[in-house]
Amino acid sequence: MNILQHKLSSGFVACIAIIVCYISFTRQPTDAYLFPRVISVFFLGLALWTFIKALLGLSKVGNGLSLTMFKNMFPGILISSIYLFIAAKSLGFYTATTIAFFLLLISYDPAPHTNLNSWTKRIIITACFIAIMYTLFAKILVVYTPRGMFI
Amino acid sequence: MDFIFYFGEVFTLTSMLLLIGGTIGGLIMGATPGLSPTMTVALLIPFTFNMTPVHGLILLGAAYTSTVAGGAVSAILLKIPGAPANIATTLDGNAMARKGEGAKALQLSFISSLIGGIFGVFLLIFLTPVLAKMANSFGYSHTFWLAIIGVTVIGSLEAGSVVKGLLSGCIGMWLATIGFDDIQGVKRFVFHPALGGGVNIIPALIGLFAIPQVITMFAKGRFQTDIKQITVKKHPISQAFREVFSRKRALAIGTSIGSVIGLIPGVGGQIAGLLAYDQAKKFSPEKAKFGTGHSEGVIAAESANNAMVGPSLVPLLTLSIPGSPTAAVLLGGLIIHGIFPGPTLFQDYPEVIWPFINSMLIGQILMCIFGIYIASLAARVAQVPQFIMAAIVLGLAAFGSFAVQQSMGDVYVMVVLGTMMYFLERFGFSAAPLVLGLILGPIAESNFVTGSLISTAQNGPFIYFFTGGLNIVLVSIVILSVGFSIWSEITAKRQET
Amino acid sequence: MKKIIAALAISLIGISGAVKAEYPERPVLLMIPYGAGGATDFQARIATIPAGNDDMLGMPVAIINKPGAGGRVGWNWFANDAEKDGYTMGGYNVPHFIAQSIKGGVDYSTDSFEPIANWGSDPAVFVVGKDSNFNSMEDVVAFAKSNPGKLTFSGAGLFVGHHIAALQIEKAAGVKMLYIPNKSGGAGAMKAVISGEVLAGVNNLSDAFRAQKAGTIKILGVADLERNAFLPDVPTMMEQGLDVDNTSVNFRGVMVPKGTPQAVIDKLAAVVPEMFKHKRVAQKMKAGGSPMKIMNRAEVLDMWAKRQTTLEDLLKGL
Repeated sequence: MNILQHKLSSGFVACIAIIVCYISFTRQPTDAYLFPRVISVFFLGLALWTFIKALLGLSKVGNGLSLTMFKNMFPGILISSIYLFIAAKSLGFYTATTIAFFLLLISYDPAPHTNLNSWTKRIIITACFIAIMYTLFAKILVVYTPRGMFI
Repeated sequence: MDFIFYFGEVFTLTSMLLLIGGTIGGLIMGATPGLSPTMTVALLIPFTFNMTPVHGLILLGAAYTSTVAGGAVSAILLKIPGAPANIATTLDGNAMARKGEGAKALQLSFISSLIGGIFGVFLLIFLTPVLAKMANSFGYSHTFWLAIIGVTVIGSLEAGSVVKGLLSGCIGMWLATIGFDDIQGVKRFVFHPALGGGVNIIPALIGLFAIPQVITMFAKGRFQTDIKQITVKKHPISQAFREVFSRKRALAIGTSIGSVIGLIPGVGGQIAGLLAYDQAKKFSPEKAKFGTGHSEGVIAAESANNAMVGPSLVPLLTLSIPGSPTAAVLLGGLIIHGIFPGPTLFQDYPEVIWPFINSMLIGQILMCIFGIYIASLAARVAQVPQFIMAAIVLGLAAFGSFAVQQSMGDVYVMVVLGTMMYFLERFGFSAAPLVLGLILGPIAESNFVTGSLISTAQNGPFIYFFTGGLNIVLVSIVILSVGFSIWSEITAKRQET
Repeated sequence: MKKIIAALAISLIGISGAVKAEYPERPVLLMIPYGAGGATDFQARIATIPAGNDDMLGMPVAIINKPGAGGRVGWNWFANDAEKDGYTMGGYNVPHFIAQSIKGGVDYSTDSFEPIANWGSDPAVFVVGKDSNFNSMEDVVAFAKSNPGKLTFSGAGLFVGHHIAALQIEKAAGVKMLYIPNKSGGAGAMKAVISGEVLAGVNNLSDAFRAQKAGTIKILGVADLERNAFLPDVPTMMEQGLDVDNTSVNFRGVMVPKGTPQAVIDKLAAVVPEMFKHKRVAQKMKAGGSPMKIMNRAEVLDMWAKRQTTLEDLLKGL
């Protein structure tokens, strides 16, 4: 399992290296791609070395991934992606952050969902975090975050 | 010894209030991921418009020194370097925090910052004319070799495989070429419009360090997030002082490397910490302890970071050339008040410049005092339940990377890079060499391209890059550094078998 | 200090939306496509100091920097992504963005932006190190004639004001020199001259004025139609027999993206030039060695159009 994963990951990196190398040596103007060419040759060499090592089953560093980990991280990644790629612009940065923060707490808080206290705690933590962020970024630093339907 | 006569100006009520405010504010800003020293100083400039030049500069000086030191707080507690300068601090500092020694790590980092910082400012006071000459002798070829020396550090950062470390460095260098080429103005590797501005260093830094931690926490699942309860160990401050002074080697290496690197325009403090860490590791009899929460790692990195602050102002104050992005912002702050830095600055405006430099001395001490106080509170961060930490880190990463240039593109780059880094880390790649490549790539590229262009008008690239005293010294350092890494790799393997 | 607190307080009310007033009801952004601390950046910061005054915008202007590739990164963002509601203004540098749009590979041209007003004009000057043997443009041209391609001279980048001046000088003198674009802009180009990495350089008048005062360089000529008030002793290129006009003069000002409501443009076009004329702005600009030239919207539109044609001619052969 782990060896297969090593093959896949180093194969993926090697693919990127090949693409980078191809682009660096074919695009114009040559002057602008001088440095990328030097880099991509080293990049490709090292990537192939790693890939061959993985094919021979010699890669040991790193712990790999398991199916449980994927299952566990799925809700978190889903919430974060919707938050940053969609909600941040359409709902407004602060509103999206509040909702995403709260949803993440719900999804990963080990305290039981039936307990009223744990809900109060989640709401208070979310409110505190957003209040600090708003004071620091909107009030003190005058950072102009995207506004959507709300702020 | 002129500077002593101008301490009076620093000890007035307004100046002290500004110093204290600037220091505390700077520590908080520095500790927030995304708010780098450059950005903090730039944000403060408008506030100095309505102050006298002396007061304005005291505020900026205090903020500069304390943001550099404040970056260590998030590096140690959250494993997110506040600025590129603090990358080396994450390596051992965060390992200490995970063992419950967060308070100790923070105390060590602030005390070494104080010592390095004071040394750097004294260099600025006493040796400015000599240092100015040194800074000025660095040309394109020398800066190029310095960047290459930086790359050789990778061998020391990597706990696992050196090949994967170098490969990570290559990925970083490639990522740095994305976006507009700075000299020709040609778009390279722009696969998506969000990449049009390139991969900016601060959002990338946040993504590469913060996001993998967030996902690691997610991957543990709902009911396992609280398994590892860390007990925070109290650490008496007197012991921290004793510890720092007993690590003389690390302290000396950090302070001297930081001061020299700080001088060199264009490289600045970004790699001072990493170079010092590398050397401290190479010269230490306890090499194996590095990366596992060893105090020498924190001391070398943080003394180097603050030692670079004083010398980094030398090219600015004497030649009017900003040596680092932060110095460039300070230059703007000086010019707005009609003060032109140059060789005669210290004669023309002693009543402004000496209080400014003195305030950096006093600022270092205040920074250490407040920093140690923060350390006693902040070490508890390690006790915050992991699911809350993950949500906070994600939020901070989003705000921090947006705030750098107020751009959503940076947020996308941050989260995509970070997610990829999580998966790569599971297979033995690591973030520190990748970021190093990202920082050094553009320095190496632009100096190489410009240097070879100039060499066509002289005797060709070989003579330009390989002859002359300084070039030979730098090339020998590269060869020695690579040789040493290979040699220690071989001896380590022999000991294993 | 009090004024800033007041401005902040007003802006806070504006943000929270308690008062629904006419434009602007919250702080306005000004995007500068160069790094913080550079000439364009600090001049923009000075020029917008009075923005918070009640008779000006009544709201502070916040500067954000989007540096990269001689301004291309910032202007591309401004043309593609900036909100067209009047709360995002941008700084322009002519001839830079016009030359870049003619050269191609960017998403903007003069048609993508609506100028508001101009605050400064910074001519390019020809500089050499303080120990250089060159004492006039004549020396430079003589050296370049006998050593074609050997005279290295630095500038801030390709297709920026310095490069335009460089092209014009080469064309006027009929010589071939080696232009060295610098990644870190004008400051880096100046450093190369001071440390002797290059034999000469083209740089901003404001920065060169400062460096000359510091005694690190000599200024040989100004690429403008007449001598500059900051450097009354330095002759123009024309005076030294080189047919170089004011095409390379770096005009700095404020614009908004095309598509911004006409009412907002009108309001800004009326207020912003007045803001630039403010006493404090003039005083701080003078202290910083930055030549001012205030132009209103109509004048800037005219200037853009003229530059467009001259630059198209100049860059045709490249």
